[in-house]
Amino acid sequence: MTDASTVEETGLGERLELGSPWVTIVWNDPVNLMSYVSYVFQSYFGFPRAEAERLMLLVHNAGRAVVATGTREEMERHVEAMHDFGLWATLTKADA
Amino acid sequence: MRPFRRARDGAIVAVFEREEAEVIARLAGEAAELVESVRSGVDPASDPALLRLLPDAYPEDAEASAEFRRFTADGLAERKALNAVTVVESLSAAGRPAGSRGRVEVRLDAHDATAWMRAIGDIRLVLASRLGIVEDGDDGDVHDDETALLRAIYDWLAFVQDTLVNALWKGDR
Repeated sequence: MTDASTVEETGLGERLELGSPWVTIVWNDPVNLMSYVSYVFQSYFGFPRAEAERLMLLVHNAGRAVVATGTREEMERHVEAMHDFGLWATLTKADA
Repeated sequence: MRPFRRARDGAIVAVFEREEAEVIARLAGEAAELVESVRSGVDPASDPALLRLLPDAYPEDAEASAEFRRFTADGLAERKALNAVTVVESLSAAGRPAGSRGRVEVRLDAHDATAWMRAIGDIRLVLASRLGIVEDGDDGDVHDDETALLRAIYDWLAFVQDTLVNALWKGDR
């Protein structure tokens, strides 16, 4: 048995330390096709097609988009996967 | 060329003229060679095309980028080379329909079609880098027959990749 208030406290502490501070950013480039970028977002991240296309257009129009948020290790995995697809991806701290 | 489309049996099929197949095979071979050079110690920063294939993961932190590259570059290069080799192999194993005068029919399963899609993307990234296409709207440095041909190939490969994406998408639904 566990005291619920303790769980919440440690849970939050952990989340602050590990959870949110990193993001994966995909940058616009003149080479990759809009259809291809949408396909990558849908097939790799599992986004519904409309969300994949929304993010693709955000990359295209704003020059970049945050496509994932999580731990540094998770974001490094995503960045490596994006590089596998030939997308220009980087990671950074969410508050940077 | 007859563009990629999904056949009734689920295979992803295209027919290339012999010259088209030769161009793709040659560029795929060159791309494989380029990324393989990373595994034998060439610094990606020494070549803008390589740097585009293996970009800095931490744009404002050179040390973290170098660390990331130390752990990922060999694997990325190996997988990219493998994609390019898949392209070369499926072209050399391609069927030659009767009376086709050298045309080649490429039949891909989903796995190899994905390898093709990635490899053609990488080839276009290399061509763009060689042509100086770095921002939306860049026409590239086209100043002679050779660069004009590269530019034409770059555009044609966009069409080829787009038909692959659409064929793969059809299979997902």
